[in-house]
Amino acid sequence: MKTLIFKELRENVRLAVLGLGILALVLALNVQKYSTILKNLGGISDSQQMYLPWQPLVASDFLIGFFCAIFGAVLGWFQIHNERHRDLWAFLVHRPVSRTQIFFGKVIAGLGIYLVAAGLPLVCFIVWAGIPGHVAAPFQWAMALQTAWLFLAGIAFYFAGMLTGLRQARWYASRTFGLGLAFMILLAYAVPIWGFWEILAAMLIGIAILAAAVWGGFHSNGHYNGQPALGKLGLTASITVGAGVVAFIVLALLASLLPNLVFNNDRWATYVMTKDGTIYKETQGGRRPPEFVGLDGKPLIDAKTGRMVESEEFNRRACNTTWIPMDWEKASLTRRNPTTFFTFWQATPDTIWYYWNRYGRLVGYDIATRRCIGSLGPNGFANDLSGGGDRFNAPDLRTLQTATAIYRADLQNRATKILFTTEKDETILGATDVLLNGNDWDYTVVATKRHIRLLTPEGKVVWKTPDDQAYPDSWRVRVSFLEKPGQCALWFAPPYGANKKAGWKLPTHVAWIDSEQGLFKSMDLPNLNPPWNRYPLRAKLLSLLMPPALWAAIYWDDRPEPPEMPWKLVLISLAAAAVVWVPLGFWLAWRHNFDVRARLGWAVFHLLCGLPGFLAFLSVQEWPARTPCANCGKLRSIDREKCEHCGVDFAPPEKNGTEIFAPLEASRT
Amino acid sequence: MNEQPVIQTRGLTKYFGTKPAVLDLNLEVPRGSVLAFLGRNGSGKTTTIRMLLGLLKPTRGEGSILGHDIRALPPEARARIGYLTEEHQLYGWMSVKECGGFQSQFYPRWNEKIFRGVIGHFSLKPTVRVKDLSRGERAGLCLGLVLAPEPELLILDDPAMGLDPVAHRSLVESMIYLTRRSDRTIFFSSHQLADVERVADYIAILDRSVLRACCSLETFRSSVRQVRLQFPGTPPPVPKIPGLLQAFRTEGELRLVCVHYNEAVERALRALAPAQMEQVPISLEEAFLSYLGERGEKSFILSETEVQP
Repeated sequence: MKTLIFKELRENVRLAVLGLGILALVLALNVQKYSTILKNLGGISDSQQMYLPWQPLVASDFLIGFFCAIFGAVLGWFQIHNERHRDLWAFLVHRPVSRTQIFFGKVIAGLGIYLVAAGLPLVCFIVWAGIPGHVAAPFQWAMALQTAWLFLAGIAFYFAGMLTGLRQARWYASRTFGLGLAFMILLAYAVPIWGFWEILAAMLIGIAILAAAVWGGFHSNGHYNGQPALGKLGLTASITVGAGVVAFIVLALLASLLPNLVFNNDRWATYVMTKDGTIYKETQGGRRPPEFVGLDGKPLIDAKTGRMVESEEFNRRACNTTWIPMDWEKASLTRRNPTTFFTFWQATPDTIWYYWNRYGRLVGYDIATRRCIGSLGPNGFANDLSGGGDRFNAPDLRTLQTATAIYRADLQNRATKILFTTEKDETILGATDVLLNGNDWDYTVVATKRHIRLLTPEGKVVWKTPDDQAYPDSWRVRVSFLEKPGQCALWFAPPYGANKKAGWKLPTHVAWIDSEQGLFKSMDLPNLNPPWNRYPLRAKLLSLLMPPALWAAIYWDDRPEPPEMPWKLVLISLAAAAVVWVPLGFWLAWRHNFDVRARLGWAVFHLLCGLPGFLAFLSVQEWPARTPCANCGKLRSIDREKCEHCGVDFAPPEKNGTEIFAPLEASRT
Repeated sequence: MNEQPVIQTRGLTKYFGTKPAVLDLNLEVPRGSVLAFLGRNGSGKTTTIRMLLGLLKPTRGEGSILGHDIRALPPEARARIGYLTEEHQLYGWMSVKECGGFQSQFYPRWNEKIFRGVIGHFSLKPTVRVKDLSRGERAGLCLGLVLAPEPELLILDDPAMGLDPVAHRSLVESMIYLTRRSDRTIFFSSHQLADVERVADYIAILDRSVLRACCSLETFRSSVRQVRLQFPGTPPPVPKIPGLLQAFRTEGELRLVCVHYNEAVERALRALAPAQMEQVPISLEEAFLSYLGERGEKSFILSETEVQP
């Protein structure tokens, strides 16, 4: 096997050098881009600064993922393609080693090349980002985890590339279906509800499936038939997922090409408010213009045109509305999101400040030296990262909060100032800074367990109102800012659990409030059909093609309150599978002359996998050729010794009288 | 000596779609023999070889090679089989020496002397890369790689295909002088009938996917006969004769090539009332060509080809 490994290394060394060069160049360009950003920071507006790639390691994931996927696939494909000529393949496999050894010889060399070509630049990049003085932004080794996931996903693409090169398929395009599974593996790292072990398990299982498919392909020279059972299983699973991805893309294209037939015709309604505090019902969707109707049922007419107000005009009249982000919403932030590590806060001419979650503090970096200059916490500035251990709970656009106070930061003087402090036994649950006209900070809304307050940037309370007006346990509150300064409307939405229990009939409570009158008006708005409670036609139609097993995969969740399974849609999928795919699967297995056990197995496979399963079956199985039986005249499978209809053997070829046969002697002179 | 055939097939069949490539092949190749596997292009020779080596899955039927099922040839069996592919494909980036070094690592019985002998016979420089070799030189290198492990069974798929006369001659000389060993079996396909005559003990002929002949060269030679009948005018049409391969009708002459020439055939021909009838000697090459060529009657009579008003 050592000889094979060296041969593969030698054969693909050029590709390795090319890959290494490209990735190194891409990363170097990223580094250069980062330096340019730091140099030109003064010319970038505050709103744009939010989205700059402050930590190149975290910001390069798209490029790294793209490279790992392409390079992995090309490398795998080349390793097979180099020897795909019939005679060269024979030269490779006809030697006194097992196909498993040949497989491992190629894979060990291939993964070694991948490790060097992709892994080496990435490790260098991570180390570069981690050395102080290179990047003027926080660095944690955990940031390298997503790079590691992308690197691991590249291995899946490597096997998918090999499978593409190796597979002998009737449908030429189906050779690429393995890439579909690799793509799904790549996406695994982005599943927000998954933690480290879930992602690792998903990726390793996916890679193992693809590796099994390739290993099996080596045993059968790329065909499905002739593989060991494990290889068949791996190939079928890979192709099924790939077929599912292809089916999804085709359906999405169809949906965009045929929008007026069945898709996007659903309309839904929401409540919206104008700057004068009037509520309207906006009905939108279905590829028709939105309609605005008052609560009395009369349409909103434009006085100038005499027609119903159009969307553009209504937007001019509509007020600004913001949600108050509560603790539970922050907890659901994705693990991978860069804000999990840090958030860009603000830049001064010579420093950049971030809110670093690990320390709960604002951390400053000198732009010139790119080194940390210290951190700001509730107790003020410290030269180190953790200060005295004092920390904020969360940042917002202009303020920072602890459980009992709201702070504003004075970056020039490296100091913090308390803007608001809660009353005794009052804890802050959420706060948000309101910028009504772009960058100007107008207000801060603070919600505690007892009150909701509107503060000015100076910390003055504009108004204060109890927060348990409608639903004691609900924290789905949004605030609409009306034309008169300080006048607002608060929207108290019913909590999800209680609303579900009440059959989605709980109303939304709206209260109008200002600094002079306090709470001066309130009303309950009837519930508008919640979108999660009904299934539009397109959802039902798509469910017809949805593999029933996929529902279980999507809704498998170990969270304490997993989302509810859409049983109606699941039943539609199961019914479609039972009526269409199971009989089709059974018939196909019969057509292939499989035994009863195999027929039932394929029927169950079609029941679980639906359309992708059907496509996978057609992709992996060679279409059974049939010829007329000389005895009964019916079509019989060519690969069966006996006719499945009459049980007769194939007749020997007809003699034409020119046959010359004589016994061959056992040895020659 | 082990009398079990080195290659044995029973009902071996391969279809590509609904088109048969090899039909119901029953073949036994005895140990120590040299068997030439003949047939026209597309008759199924390479397909058979690839099935025998487990590179192609048979549609039905079975076979064994050195006592092992062809569907699952173990590495030990492969070590005993040398296989020369028809296009002599090798890794272009390797040098001649590297090819030998690469191959030798897999074969415990690798004989460097043989390898050097063969590449010396073809005047190959060890440092030359495979991609820079001519087709004939590549064939020589392939032969060296196949012979050096000293295999018990040599399977050569049209080894002389595409070679110029010099390279062809070198290859045949190598085959004759370096492969002859009483316990070595050679199974080779070829279109070069002269090579077959020089090297082979036995022949097996595939005609349109079906094995029609499997015998010694002598048997084949004696089974194919050529008869010349002379007529005063235009010869009559050829009657139905069992074993007729070809018939040539010219002005005043009818020449027939057939197998299993016997008294019944002679009587049928005499019934045509020829002025003269005689058996004409036929060379092995002519016999092959008649056997492998298009069957039936060919007329070269001008009066029959003129357009009637």
